[in-house]
Amino acid sequence: MKLSFTRSCCPFNFSTSFKRSLCANLHWPVFSSLVSSRPTSLKPQTPLFLRPAMHSAPVSDLRKWRDWAKNLASSVGTTFLDLDNGPDSSLLCRELKWLMEDAIEDHSLFFQMGIEHDHTNVRLRAGIEELYNMWKQRIEERRPFQYIVGCEHWRDLVLSVQEGVLIPRPETELIVDLVADVVSENEGLKEGLWADLGTGSGALAIGIGRILGSHGAVIATDLSPISLSVAAFNLQRYGLQDTVELRQGSWFKPLKDVEGKLAGIVSNPPYIPMENISGLQAEVGRHEPRLALDGGPSGMDDLFHLCNGAASMLKPSGFFIFEVWIL
Amino acid sequence: MHAGKISREHGSLMGKMKEVRAFERELLEHIDMFKLAREEDDAEMESESLKALLRMRRNSKEKELQALLSGELDSCSCYIEVQAGAGGTESMDWAAMVMQMYKLWAQRNGYKVTVVDEMPGEIAGIKRATIKVDGEYTFGYAKAEVGVHRLVRISPFDSNKRRHTSFAAVAVIPILGDESSHVQINETDLRIERFRAGGAGGQHVNTTESAIRIVHIPTGVSATCQNERSQHQNKASAMAVLQSRLDQLEMARQAQMNAQHTQSLTDITWGSQIRSYVLHPYRMVKDLRTNYEVSDPDSVLGGDLDGFILSYLSAFLDKDEGDR
Repeated sequence: MKLSFTRSCCPFNFSTSFKRSLCANLHWPVFSSLVSSRPTSLKPQTPLFLRPAMHSAPVSDLRKWRDWAKNLASSVGTTFLDLDNGPDSSLLCRELKWLMEDAIEDHSLFFQMGIEHDHTNVRLRAGIEELYNMWKQRIEERRPFQYIVGCEHWRDLVLSVQEGVLIPRPETELIVDLVADVVSENEGLKEGLWADLGTGSGALAIGIGRILGSHGAVIATDLSPISLSVAAFNLQRYGLQDTVELRQGSWFKPLKDVEGKLAGIVSNPPYIPMENISGLQAEVGRHEPRLALDGGPSGMDDLFHLCNGAASMLKPSGFFIFEVWIL
Repeated sequence: MHAGKISREHGSLMGKMKEVRAFERELLEHIDMFKLAREEDDAEMESESLKALLRMRRNSKEKELQALLSGELDSCSCYIEVQAGAGGTESMDWAAMVMQMYKLWAQRNGYKVTVVDEMPGEIAGIKRATIKVDGEYTFGYAKAEVGVHRLVRISPFDSNKRRHTSFAAVAVIPILGDESSHVQINETDLRIERFRAGGAGGQHVNTTESAIRIVHIPTGVSATCQNERSQHQNKASAMAVLQSRLDQLEMARQAQMNAQHTQSLTDITWGSQIRSYVLHPYRMVKDLRTNYEVSDPDSVLGGDLDGFILSYLSAFLDKDEGDR
């Protein structure tokens, strides 16, 4: 199994399977700005590429660092791949290139510089010592690349991420495509209220918020305060504070006031069976938040909860799209 | 109708000839002036006529380029693709050198280079790679590079220090600027493959690998991209490459344009050698089409290709005219 894509992503149509009382008229409160539940004490970290270029180093030092980092990456070979499906050296080398893109203010210039520029100083967004540390963490601790640079490129977005927040996966990009498809065929869904449950970095909420445009609204929930503060940072960067409202709490709990009013629900809930957590790829198992991964003994605990609750949260003909990956 | 067309063409050609004659006359006048100034020791006049001559030289260079790059697609940006020939690591290393040569050439000329697809070799070099070169007339110039490039050197991968010959094939695809001329691609004709190691995905795996391969089922044409940082963007890049490949295929089919313009990588026969790079036992780069040669391979591999390209374009132009 290399190329095929085996996630079942299920758009359910609840209107036929559940008897509902007449739909309440569509009026939910207008959501504006961030809600008070946003914790103020947690200040999200700034991704490397957005930090000011306050450091500098001579080209020769930077090149020395790069050669060292490249060597370290090459020495990995397929060790991680064989061990737990981790990255091989060619992937690590690509990550190294991206790290340089994020860390060096004028990276395209650096890539062209020859030996005659050895003494030229290059402006950096992280000190050279920090760069050594970052790469050591990447290789020796298997710290995810996205936590090191503090961002993940996802769809056409660059999302801030940090420890405590699940790094959005490429597969999850498809949920946004699915929403785009259903919304394009149904104006009512486009102007309706959507919910992203367990939003993490806010990826799905932002992706959907951008599709809905000015008419729609999204409520994004998460139990984790760190996630909410990171999601708030990301919303701000994409100017979606007025479209996406953040609420803290578990699954449907913060959504009592919109029961039966949701046009659509999306979620990427934890779905890894508890007993598999210890055997996960090191980047995931050792560094990503268990809260976002552990789906209980069967892996399905949260999914069942969501499926049960979705029926009463959605209005007739509403959509529920979730991600699950069964091994 | 036809007579009118001929007469218009005649008029345009006469106009051009008149321009050339006037240019020639002006040139001779300035030369005479310059000689006179020398004889009479008139520094002011000398510098003035020198300036005029320099201006004329610039002017003629521009005119020459205009004549060389008058093809319909010449002003387009393009993709350059390099593929290693048989011979394993040795050729893959050579393919990487050729690709580097084009990257440096593009940089020298102020073009923007983006790596779209790169398949590294196991030990060194690349199996194949695609770069996008953005800039005016990049296709017009780069099309001169289509064909097989041959390298002779002492192999750095051979412990016995033997001489090796390696090959790399180069293809150049124009990127049509005009949206309306694009081939329509049917979404249902596409198979989109996402690369994932092993069977797991989703939350189980955290990888920055988000390669995409798109296959156009009716033609079998495909495109791969893995250098962007999100799957979404890899898909967009791969789609753009696929679009250009299909456009090129369509152009070849419809207009049966000049073979050089439209050959894709797979069509290049390994016999169509265009240039030879010898690092040992002597040092020389020689174009087999024009016999243009340079004795400093390092400068050529460092991206100094303009001599080769211009000599090819002008030879091609002359041949083109001769064919009519």
